[in-house]
Amino acid sequence: MKCGDVYLHICDHLDEDINSERCRQIRQHLAGCPHCTEYLKSLKQTITLYRALPPPRIPAGTHRELFKTISTLTTKAAAGTPKRGRKTRKA
Amino acid sequence: MPDDELIGLARTGDARAFTELVRRYEDTVYRFSYKICRDSEAASETLQDTFINVYRKLNSFDGKSKFSTWLYTIVTNNCLMKRRKRKSDLMEESLEAYDHPSGEPGSLPRQKPVHTPETPADVVIGRELKSLLEEAMAKLPEEYRVVFTLRDVEGRSTEETASVLGLSVEATKSRLRRARAFLRDQLQPHLKAHPEILS
Repeated sequence: MKCGDVYLHICDHLDEDINSERCRQIRQHLAGCPHCTEYLKSLKQTITLYRALPPPRIPAGTHRELFKTISTLTTKAAAGTPKRGRKTRKA
Repeated sequence: MPDDELIGLARTGDARAFTELVRRYEDTVYRFSYKICRDSEAASETLQDTFINVYRKLNSFDGKSKFSTWLYTIVTNNCLMKRRKRKSDLMEESLEAYDHPSGEPGSLPRQKPVHTPETPADVVIGRELKSLLEEAMAKLPEEYRVVFTLRDVEGRSTEETASVLGLSVEATKSRLRRARAFLRDQLQPHLKAHPEILS
């Protein structure tokens, strides 16, 4: 397997197909190729950095607005629905 | 109470059950929306639109996929619709260059530095890095951003990611490879200049 082939399939090595024949060949190539080893390492670093970014938080106003919308939707639906026997949910 | 029971109750018009579903998934939807839309206002709008769509279409959810997969699909469609009003920084075709290593045989894809601090000593690395990560992500076309975010950041399987976008697994892998290579090339110059970030 050449570097170009490894490059095209290196993501399989990062993903779930680690026991496939192709991954075995990639591992074999990586063992003797510092360039590709460095490339794989840098891909892993990239993913790690994105995973480490703190998740955005919902602004308080957005949260309030959302539940106001949901309340309006469900109230309108209840008002427009003929009464029928509904199951009551246990708390 | 498991999601499927809540969904069942919400379908019968149980407002409390639907509200609980919203409460359970609002963070997931906002987080994903923000990462795809790259904008707080658009993410807030997408959050609202997504749950309005969910409420209206709850009866069409067949339960064959996970509820979260269905949500990701709705968010993605909402974001992509909004995107049509804007222009993406990169054309999709330009990422095809990331299918092939450049230069001499055995060489790696060339790096495209986008940001090199002129005075590193004056820079707060954490803030700089965060800004660099966000700038690089903002340059990815949204279809690629969705794949990278779902697969590598949210940790979803390739199959689930493919299902959200209505793509084959092979096409999803191809987009993932290009997205990873693009982001890696954007970050490498900075990481080489500041190796302490990774220590």
